[in-house]
Formats: sequence, C-alpha cells, structure tokens
Amino acid sequence: MDGLNRRDFLKAGAVATSATAAACAYDYKVPQEEVLPYVVNPENVQPGLATYYASLCNGCATACGLVARNTDGRVVGVEGNPDHPSGPGLCTRGHFDLIAAYGPDRLPGATAKRTTLSWADADKQMLDAVAAARAAGKTVAWLGRYRTGTASALLDVLAEGGLRRVHWETLGVEPLLAAARIAFGVDELPVYELAGARTVVSFGFDFADSAFGSMAMRKGFAKARNPASDGFAARLVAIEPRLSSSSIGCDDWVSALPGTETQVALALAKLCAAANGYSGAGASLLSGVDVNAACAASGIAEARLTELAAMLTAAPSVVLPGGPSTQGADATALAVATLLCNMVLGAVGTAVQFGRGFRPGQVNSFADVKSLVADAAAGKIGVLFLDGIDAIHALPAAIGAADALAKVDLVVQFADEANDSTGENTLVLPTGSGLEQWSDASVESSLHVLGQPSMVPLHDSRGLGDTLLTLAKAWAPAAPPVEAVVAPLEGSTDATPAADSTATVAPVAAPAPVSTASLVASAANFGELVKARWTALLMPAGANAAAWWQEVQTIGLVASPPALAAVSWVAASLPEGTNSGSGDRALVLFASHLGDGRWANVPWAQELPDPVSTYFWNTWIEINPRTAESLGLGEKDLVKVETDHGSVTVGWFGAPTVREDTVALRMGNGKTTGKYAKGRGANAFALLGGEVDPASGALNLTSRVRITRTQGDSGLHALCGSMNQDGRTIAARVNAADAVANVEGEAQSIVPIHHLPTDPRVEAAGPVDMFPEPQHPTYRFSMVIDTNACNGCGACQIACAVENNTPFVGPDQLRKGRTMSWIRMDRFFEGDENSPDVRYLPAICQHCAHAPCEGVCPVLATYHNLDGLNAMIYNRCVGTRYCANNCPYTARRFNYHTWEWPQSYHLMLNPELSTREMGVMEKCTFCVQRVRSVKDNWRDAAFAEREPGKPVSMDKHRVPDAALQRLTACAAACPSEAINFGNWNDTDSTVRQLGTSPRAYTLLGELNTKPGVRYMAKVSHHAPAFSHGGGHGGGHEEGHGDSHTPTEAPGGHGGPDEAPAHGHGAEHKEG
Amino acid sequence: MSNKLTYAQVNRDIMRPLFTPTMAWHGLMALALLGLAIGGVCWGIQLVWGLGVAGYHPPVFWGVYITTFVFWVGIGHAGTLISAILFLTRSRWRTGIYRAAEAMTIFAVMTAALFPAIHVGRAWQAYWLFPYPNQRQLWQNFKSPLMWDVFAVSTYFTVSTVFFFIGLVPDIAAVRDNTRGYTQKLYAAMALGWHGTDRQWRHYMAAYGFFAALATPLVLSVHSVVSWDFAMADTPGWHSTLFPPYFVAGAIFSGCAMVITLMLPLQRVFKLDAYIHIWHFEHLAKLCMFTGGILTYSYGCEYFIAWYSDNPYEWGTFVDRVVGKYWWVFGTMVLCNCTIPLLWWFKRVRTSFAGLFIVSIVINIGMWFERYNIIASSLAHSFDPAAWVYYTPTYIEMGILVGSFAWFFTWFLLFVKIMPSVAIAEIKETLRPPLKHDEEAAAK
Repeated sequence: MDGLNRRDFLKAGAVATSATAAACAYDYKVPQEEVLPYVVNPENVQPGLATYYASLCNGCATACGLVARNTDGRVVGVEGNPDHPSGPGLCTRGHFDLIAAYGPDRLPGATAKRTTLSWADADKQMLDAVAAARAAGKTVAWLGRYRTGTASALLDVLAEGGLRRVHWETLGVEPLLAAARIAFGVDELPVYELAGARTVVSFGFDFADSAFGSMAMRKGFAKARNPASDGFAARLVAIEPRLSSSSIGCDDWVSALPGTETQVALALAKLCAAANGYSGAGASLLSGVDVNAACAASGIAEARLTELAAMLTAAPSVVLPGGPSTQGADATALAVATLLCNMVLGAVGTAVQFGRGFRPGQVNSFADVKSLVADAAAGKIGVLFLDGIDAIHALPAAIGAADALAKVDLVVQFADEANDSTGENTLVLPTGSGLEQWSDASVESSLHVLGQPSMVPLHDSRGLGDTLLTLAKAWAPAAPPVEAVVAPLEGSTDATPAADSTATVAPVAAPAPVSTASLVASAANFGELVKARWTALLMPAGANAAAWWQEVQTIGLVASPPALAAVSWVAASLPEGTNSGSGDRALVLFASHLGDGRWANVPWAQELPDPVSTYFWNTWIEINPRTAESLGLGEKDLVKVETDHGSVTVGWFGAPTVREDTVALRMGNGKTTGKYAKGRGANAFALLGGEVDPASGALNLTSRVRITRTQGDSGLHALCGSMNQDGRTIAARVNAADAVANVEGEAQSIVPIHHLPTDPRVEAAGPVDMFPEPQHPTYRFSMVIDTNACNGCGACQIACAVENNTPFVGPDQLRKGRTMSWIRMDRFFEGDENSPDVRYLPAICQHCAHAPCEGVCPVLATYHNLDGLNAMIYNRCVGTRYCANNCPYTARRFNYHTWEWPQSYHLMLNPELSTREMGVMEKCTFCVQRVRSVKDNWRDAAFAEREPGKPVSMDKHRVPDAALQRLTACAAACPSEAINFGNWNDTDSTVRQLGTSPRAYTLLGELNTKPGVRYMAKVSHHAPAFSHGGGHGGGHEEGHGDSHTPTEAPGGHGGPDEAPAHGHGAEHKEG
Repeated sequence: MSNKLTYAQVNRDIMRPLFTPTMAWHGLMALALLGLAIGGVCWGIQLVWGLGVAGYHPPVFWGVYITTFVFWVGIGHAGTLISAILFLTRSRWRTGIYRAAEAMTIFAVMTAALFPAIHVGRAWQAYWLFPYPNQRQLWQNFKSPLMWDVFAVSTYFTVSTVFFFIGLVPDIAAVRDNTRGYTQKLYAAMALGWHGTDRQWRHYMAAYGFFAALATPLVLSVHSVVSWDFAMADTPGWHSTLFPPYFVAGAIFSGCAMVITLMLPLQRVFKLDAYIHIWHFEHLAKLCMFTGGILTYSYGCEYFIAWYSDNPYEWGTFVDRVVGKYWWVFGTMVLCNCTIPLLWWFKRVRTSFAGLFIVSIVINIGMWFERYNIIASSLAHSFDPAAWVYYTPTYIEMGILVGSFAWFFTWFLLFVKIMPSVAIAEIKETLRPPLKHDEEAAAK
C-alpha cells in the first residue's frame, strides 16, 4: 500500500496498456486494438485482477464511504463501503462522480484564458494575486461547497490569516441548522433515525435523495417500512406541494396550500400536545396556535389533522422538516415547528438525535453569499476562490453574480472543467476527481472517512488539499502564531450568522485539539498532512503508527459508536418570515439527477430518466394534469413560466404528484458551457429573486409564477409509455395489515395476480410443459427486488451502466426511446386523482427458466445455462430481434448503432466484458462477469484446501449466500438494499426466503415463463382519504373482477424451480 | 379462343414484346431502376450506420421490413394457386394468365427473400441462418419459427422456379426458333432440346402434372409457416391459432389483386386482348371476393377470440388497435380489405378496366397495412404498459419499401422482355388445329 510504489506502477500500467488502435481500413464496424503485455510485470499485480481501495465519496457533502475498484490502472467501478454506516449501497451521485472523472471536457492542467499553464506559473499567479490583493487592502474570499476534514482545517488556518470563507450549497442545511440552534441551542443538525418510526410525517424533507445525510435516513426508512423487520410497516404522510422522490411512495398526501406548512406543523404540534398531554418547555409556543385558522388557511380538513395527530401520538413517530419544495421565506420557522412536533411526540433524543456533531463543516447562509457578491460587485474582493460552485449558473440571476465576478481581480476556480463561471479573469486549477487525490471528511464527531487516491490522475491536476497547503505555506508568515491555532476536527464553530442564537454550545465530543497549522510546515504534500493529522487526532495511544495507518487505509474510516446528548427546548418564540411574490401559482424547484447543475455535464446523468416524468436531457415543469387541461396544453406544447424576476420557456409533464396551484420546475440545466450541458433546457435559477428567509438567511427556493401556453415543440419524450398500469398487475401493492399479518406465512401469496382463465379440464390434468424444465444442478441464480423499498432513484440503473459498459445514446436517440439501460424503471400512477399511489418497478431480464426469447432465436445466440442465467452470445447474434419481440418484459436492448465512448470515457470501460457492436442484442446478464469470478474464486479456494487425493467438498465449493447477496452491480448500488441476489437452490438463501414470502410475486408469472427474478409488492396503508373501496387486502384493487379460481402452480416436474410456486400458484381470495 | 387466330399469329402476338418493346416498357423500366437506386442507397446507409436509421425502438423491433416481407410472400401465393391448383382442377381460365402470375410468384419470393437480410442487425452475418457445415460446429435452432421460415421460403422458391421453367420449355423453344445468333443459343440451352415430339410431350405433361402436385401444398404451407413467426410468439395480438388459415386467405386475396394490377397494363400495353380477356379478370376478382370474405370473417373472429379469452393483454391490444394511436392503420386496413372490395359484387365494376385496376391497388395497399397493423400495433402495446410506444417508419424504411417494389418490377419487366408472358403452347391447345380441309376451304 505504499503510495509511491503504487503510483509508479499505475503510471507504468497506464503507459503499457494504452492500446494502439489499428483499425482495419474498411472494417469500420469492429474497432481493433492490440493488447500489449507488461515488459516487466509490477510486483503483486496480476493483469486483469482488480485492486480495491476504500475511499471517500465526493458526490455530495454527506461523505459516504466507497470502495473503488481499480483494474489495470483505472477505477472502473465504485460501490458503497460496507464498513461505513451508509453502506452497502451508493447513490447515483457517487456513480456520477466516477463518470465525471473521465469527462472529455476535463482540463489538461491549470488554465487561464484558455491557455494551459505550468503549476509553478499558476501558483505564482495565484500567490501574486493574493499578495497584491492584501497589499491593496482588498479581501481574499472563498466561496465554496461544504468542506470538512483536513481541507476545512487548512481553510481555518487561512481564515486566521484573513481569508473570508463562505460555504454554501443550493440544497443546503441552513434552515434546519438555524432551527436546531433556535429550538435547542445546539450548533448541529439533528440526526433522524427513522428505523423504529411507525408514522413519519414529512414537510418536504428530501430524506432519501438530496437531503444531507440521506443514505442513512433512507436505509432507516426502508427498514421502518419493511413489514418483516419489526412487525409493522411505517406509514408515511407527506405535507408538501409536490411529492419529492423521498415521499413519492407515501401512504397519504395531505397537501397544504403552499406557504402555509408552518401553520400546519404548529397546528399538528398543538393537536398532538392535546392528544398526549404534553406540557414541556415548548408548550408555551403552542398557546397562541389556532388550529381552525391553520386548517382554513391551508385547506386541510381539521378531522384529517386530528386523525394524523392521533396516529402520531399512538406509536413512535417522527416529523421531518421541510425540504426544497417548502423552503420559503419561513423555512426556519417550519423547521422549528417540526422540531416542536418531535418534542411534543417525545421523539427528540430517540428518533431525532442530537449530540452526534452532525453537520457538514462550516455552513454559511445565502445572505452571506449575497453580501460576498455585493462586495465583489463593489470591487472590494481582490481574489475569489470558487470551490465547486458554478456561481453564474447556480446563484439566482437577480443577485448579479456575473457582473460581480467580472469585477474581481482574479477568480481562482477549483474545477476540473470550465463552467459558466469561467471568465477572462479566471485561473482554473483542476483538482482532479475525488478518486485521484487525498481527501478526508467527517460530518459526525465519531465518524471520520479517509479518501485515498485510487488511480493516477488522468490529467495534470492537483488535489484541492495540495493547493490549500501551498496557500497555507505562503500565508504562514502573516498568520498568527501557529501554536495558537486550534482546529477541531469537525470544522469551524463560527457558522450561521443572522440568527438570534439563544445559546452557544461547546463543540461536541471534542477530540484532542490539534494545531493543523503546526503540521503544515512539515507536510510535503496534502496526503502527508492528512496522515499526520489523522495520526495525531485519531490514533489510539500506543498504537503502531504504520500498522494503524495501514488498517485505516484498508477500512477507509475511523468510527466509534455515536454519543448522544440530551437537549432541552429553549425557543420562546417562532422566527419570522413571510412568503411574497405575485402570480397565480406557487413555484417550487426540484432536483433530479443533475442536482443544482453539478452533474449537468455528465451524459449518463442527463440520460437517466427523471423518476416522475421519465423525461431526460432537458428542463421541464411538472404541473397537475387538471391544470394542464384547464390551460388547454397539448402534449408537446411549450409553457412560459414567469416570475417577477425572470422567465423560462419549457415543456411540461402532467404529474398528479403536484398540487393544482403549484408548478414544479426542474433545476440543473440551462448551462452555457460543457460538451453535454451546453444548451440543454433552461436555468431554473433565473426565476428566483434571491430573497432569503430572515431567520437563517437561507435562499427562498419558492416563488409565485404565472404560466402561459406558448407555441413550439418541447421535444420532450417520456420513456415510460403509460401513466398507469392499465389494470394489470405489473407493480403490485398489498395492504399493510395483510403484509404484517402474513410476514412469515407458509408461502401463500397475498399479491393479487390476474390469472388467465384456464380450462378446468386442463387444470385437472395438472401443469403441463411442452419442454422439460432446464436443470440447475448447483446454482439457480435469482434476484428478489422489494418494490416497497424502491423510490425509483436510478442508482441501480447508473451502477449497471458503469459496470456493464452500456453507453449513453444522446438526446436524439433517447427521444426515439432507444435507451440502452438494462434496467427500465417502470413508473405507474395508480390511485385516484387526489392521492396518487406511485409505484416503481425496476424491470430487468427475468432470466426465465422457460424463456420466450431462447426458443425463437434462429441461431441459438441466447440460451439457458446451468446456473440459471439466460445467457447471450454477442458474437453469434445476427440481430433478427425476434427474442426482443418475444420478451414479455421488454428487457432486451438492441445496438442500433455502434455506440461511441467519446474520449476519455473509453478509459472507463470495464475490461471484464466487451462492448457490443451494432446489430446485436444485449440485456441484463446478472453481471455474469461477477458471477463467474466469484464462482471461480470459491472453486479455486476449495481446490486449494482439499486434502490430497480426495474430491473437493461441494459445501466448500459452493459460493455462500453472503458472497452473493450484493454481487450484482444493481444489488451493490441500491441504497435501500431493495435488490437481493443469490442462489435459489440454496434453501437458506436470502432470495429463497424473500422470494417465497407472501409478499413476493413473479412478474407476469401467469405466462409460465418461470422467471428467476421475483418482486415483492409495495406495502401501503389505506388512509381513509384514498381507500379504493376497502375490502380484504389488495385482492380487490387490481383484480379484474373475473371469478378466478386458484390455479395450479405451473412449476414443472420436480425441477429446482418447482418451489417458487407462490405468485402464480397462490390462492386468490374472493369475497 | 377466337377461331380467327392462327398458330403463327399467336407466336407473333405473344412474342412481340420480346422484339419490339414499346416506349411504355422503357419508361416503366427507367422508373423501376430509379426506385431500385433509391432502395439501394437506403440500404447502403443502413448497412453503414446500423439499423438506427430505421424507426425501431423497444419493444417494437420488427416494422416495415417484416411487414413488407410478409406482403411479398403473400403476393407469391396467387401465382402458385393459379398455375398449379387451377391446372390440377383443369380450370381453363388460367391459360391466359398463369405464366405471368407464376413469374410474379418467383419475383415476389425473390423480393421477400431480400428482407431477412435487410432486416437483420448484421446483414453480413445473415448466412448464419442457413445450417451449413462449419468447423466451429455451430448449428441452428430448429425450434425457432424463423428457421422454419428459412426452409419454407427457400423450398417455395426452388419448387416455383423449377415449375416455372418446366412450363416455359415449349414456349422457349418457339422463341428459339424465331431468334438468331447468340440469343438463339441462350434460348436453345433453356429449351432443353425441345422439338415438340409426341414422346417429349408425353414426358413433359407427366412432369408438369407432377410439379403442379408438388407445388400445391406449398400454397397452404408457406404462408402458414410465415404466420407462425407471429402465432408462435407470445406477443398479444400475435399469439393466435387463427393465423395460418387467416394468413393463407390473405395471401391469395392480395396475390390475386396483384395479378390483376400487373396483367391489366400488360394486356393494354402489349395488345394482348385476344389472349387475356376481361373474364379472366372477373374470375380473379371472384377469387378475391371469396378470400376477402374469409379475411373479413377472420378479422371479426380475432376480436371475438380476444374478447372471449378474457385475456386482458390480448383484449388490450385489440382495443388499442381501434382506439389507440394506430387507429389510422386499422382503419386503412378495414377500408381497403373489407369495404372497398365490396364494389366487386357489382358485375359492372368487376368487368371494367378502371373498376378492376383501382380496387386491386386498394387491396394491395390494404394488405400491406394489415401486416403493418399486426406487427407494429401488437409490439407497441405489449404486456408491460410502461414499455408502450408508438413506432413510425423512417424515410430509410420507406425508401427500402419503394426499392422492394422497384426490385420486383425490374424483374417483371425483364421477364416481359425476354420470355413469352402468355403461355404460347397452352393458347395453341385451345385453338382449332390448322387442318388441311380448313385451308382448302379458305382457299376456295
């Protein structure tokens, strides 16, 4: 693990494997390459075998752990670090970050005015500018995203020397952080532990996606919602104008008039207090709350709130704060009100935890950003460091960032690609991907994640930490005595200003103070600094430094059990804040896949269909279908969306998950730079005026808008072909009561499956198959997908694309529906108009035992193998596409063209499998390369251990369930752990257990395809407001009203697949 | 046949196009070559860029190409029906038209046979569909209906071609006797030494009857096998036992209409009214009325089966064909195949040039849309609603469709130019033989 040696090896590897393209002059179809072996094989390296590095995900501030897989010198895959509390699983952002590392737009080195500089010149330019600015009495400022760990400590050192730091993110944590300070006097964020909650009420908190710390909350919620985990299925109630991707699977949507959520939260708190007799410190705030007025203002029936309060007080429950759709001018007030709800419910200290020091380092408010921009516009800023924020794109146009930036003497931008903010006065210092540099992060006092470089930088970049170190070294003489500088690990304490903080709290669980400044002088590079700082801070006394560091690098983190601290309510009054603006509808912004624009230049991110509309590569609004009808909108019409500050013209999608008086606009697109980002859609931030919530200084993300129909063709295309499932059982749903009552059961399905009518005489004769069941002597690889935990986030899709070399096809091809993703995310809006019941189903190749595709291929290019995989021989395929026609699941993809991996995406290709040439079919292989690899490894191990002269024991030979459960890329990526993989023949395997549980069903199992994939139905509570007529279980809601008799399981004759008779073989309850 | 015709006159009339093709022939040939060039360019583009230039997207993986393939295979059937079955049943009205109809069969099958190669993703590997011996021990999947197709179509092509050339032997000999030089040598080779001796005639008639018997089951089998491409698949809208008879009826319906479309101009341009009469066409029209009736019944039957099966997928597809985005295809099909051909129930319409020509073209259009309706609308509306789409052909696909017609007409025009398009020998059989006393009576 010696860094230098590995780097040398990786460099050698990169040179040695760089292939010489020797394309045959006429054979344009098959690019041919020469593979050259190493001249001298590096020690401990076998070509083709991957090396794994535990590292840090740089996709967002949450700082999840990841494991990077380096094959032949390049990281070609990332997975969640199972040792990290967020793992297993890695969300879309972690994968986008990997893809971004190979972006074709990446700058070759330090760049100014489109000219590449040497690092010495760049440093000189930067340091000269800093010196000049300080000499001229101008400010040197930092505007960047949240940073923790050593980088933040270095910034502290620089701040002592006069650097003005502003850390801000569009989807930031200011309101909640300010609310925690106001309510409890603590300077940290609450940790929401959802695992034990029975009712969760969310006021728009995007706990499963964009919220800080989403991975842990998402896992907790998945656990709470799983009927098998604790004997109940948590109920989710959403009170927000647009269902976010976190609450889209909610049981009840109690939408309040936009802007009245604070009143609703207070009314809820009062009703809860009335129900459980709360009389604590927060009760004084409730005395003035008028429930009737809140109900009248919000349009929610009082009975509904009372019912909700009864549910909340009846069992452990938690109320979640606001999110992007409710971040108005009263964002802090809403957050305080939700904390009060939790206080009333007694959830603070259990489900809402303090004392863990949970925060993303220094947090500044948008008000600080505004004042920084104003100072820049006034010419007071000499040097501005821009770290990860595309100021001109992502800041509301109304605050004039573009003009301000032009007035700064030198803008030093830390970015790998030029973006909208790169101007004539910009010096771009590419930092490289998080996978190419040292980094560390720590968003909790008891959890420290190490980011070690996993590959040699593809370009001449230098880590952010190294540049900070250079700055710190240059500034050191001017800085105060180094001994005096104390930088606690969890970041600075001087955070959110403009708050009427009632108390300051000592840094929680403060580690031994370490002077980072004292380490600066002796550190030759940032990696050494990180190591020195970690050693000083975290190493147990008396440990062997080298061995300890080795262990830290292997695990990638240092963690200890979190210590909680009791807090008491201190707020005496609610912060102020009122929403304003003119227009007949409310505007909310939502981020899907592209974030605030951070991933706009990642083509796979652009191409990943939005989970609600299944649109892509563009900007659009979501409006309620009834609104669209009243406006007379045609499917492809354009809509002009206007606020007091600006307007955009975009296409629309009729989403029943948006209130009729609300317009939801996708953020992230509308950039003017970037090979893939340029010219896509419109910039949502152009509509914002940059108003702030006075209590926290947070940006008001909501507004009032006018929308009008305009001429033109939006060119939007929905990849999902239907709004609902047309009465068919594709994504099934079962009643929560049934699900809980039948958790164990004896493999009797409670899923309502439509059975094709059969002839009683045929039934009496028993199941008859035309062809014998394929034999699976050792393995029958299977997958069970719990749709109850799925919110359509797309992590499986993007992980699959990275693992299996599936290309992006571009907007024009995708508009024709030609997605190459092996996973299609089916999205259905069931339920009635008022309360949509949204269901997701990741549809993949089902690896049927009686596969319709296999029989029809004239050249036997697809066949069933002994492991139960429906295998595909690309080289044999002539492309008749009969298999794809005959697949009832539409799981097959066709290579319409020879897709291109533009420079330098081709470096990301997984060498474990080939790319496919035009004219051949492909589809999910259950990651056959991983399956083969794990089988071979176990077999080799079994052979190595056998006693001489004796046969290998099959028990040792067979891969155990634990090694299979998260084997495929999708199963490894799913943050909710909804996807399980394993061997069906192993009766103790997870897939066998889950797949025979009452909630499991086979997709279109009535076709007797005998799939290897099983789904588990979504669990749902019937809130009175949207019950579909009651009745027993889900049996009535999707049946076709025909009198289906229970059918025999078409399970074959004694083959290993006989057991999964549930699903099609279930008794169908009548009556 | 008119008694005024002499054997020499028959030879002159029927062989006239071989020696003096008209301006119309040249014009048509130029058009066909232009169409062929369009099709060739389109296919070239597709070979270079891949099938992405066509309109496919999941789950619609078959479209215009397979539609056109089935269309042309269907066209072929009428020729075999007329030449073989009507020969065996001694229907005399086949005499004037069977040669051209048989040629049409061969060229239609040749056109259809292009489409598997055009359709597959890797045309340069299309030969893998044939079970040829190879060192890699690769073999084909005989469970696949596409393999059955390969055999059905190649058998059909072989038998029809042999039957066609056997039927041509006496006529080629007649042409041979009217040519000189190397042309004569070519015809002489094809005439297989025919001299019209009694022994030759006896053998010839036995062989002809034998091949007619051999070709007869193919009329039913080939299109049944083609229909299994669909019926054996599980796609709603395809998976039906009704398909074989329904497809055979459709094939004869479209084939007879195509014979009318081809023979009417042939009769006019080359002034063959003495040999091809309006009552030939009337018979063809009656055959169309009969098979069209079966077809209309089948359409209704399909809906009944879909409804009666209580299979939501099946019924969903059938409802979608009428009310979904493909309503115009369904509408065109019903209008062209079920409604407009009813005009032929009026004798005046089915015996007039315009009535015959226009309605026959309408039927050809309708039958193409029938296949398009089956293929595109079923695939676009399959099991999983999330995968529902709308497929529309691209210019490339339409260009190749045009090219396929051009390819067919190029061959047909060449046939007209180099072969007697009416069976000379059989026409002469119907004439009163040139007897001595007739000549004497004429001399008086």
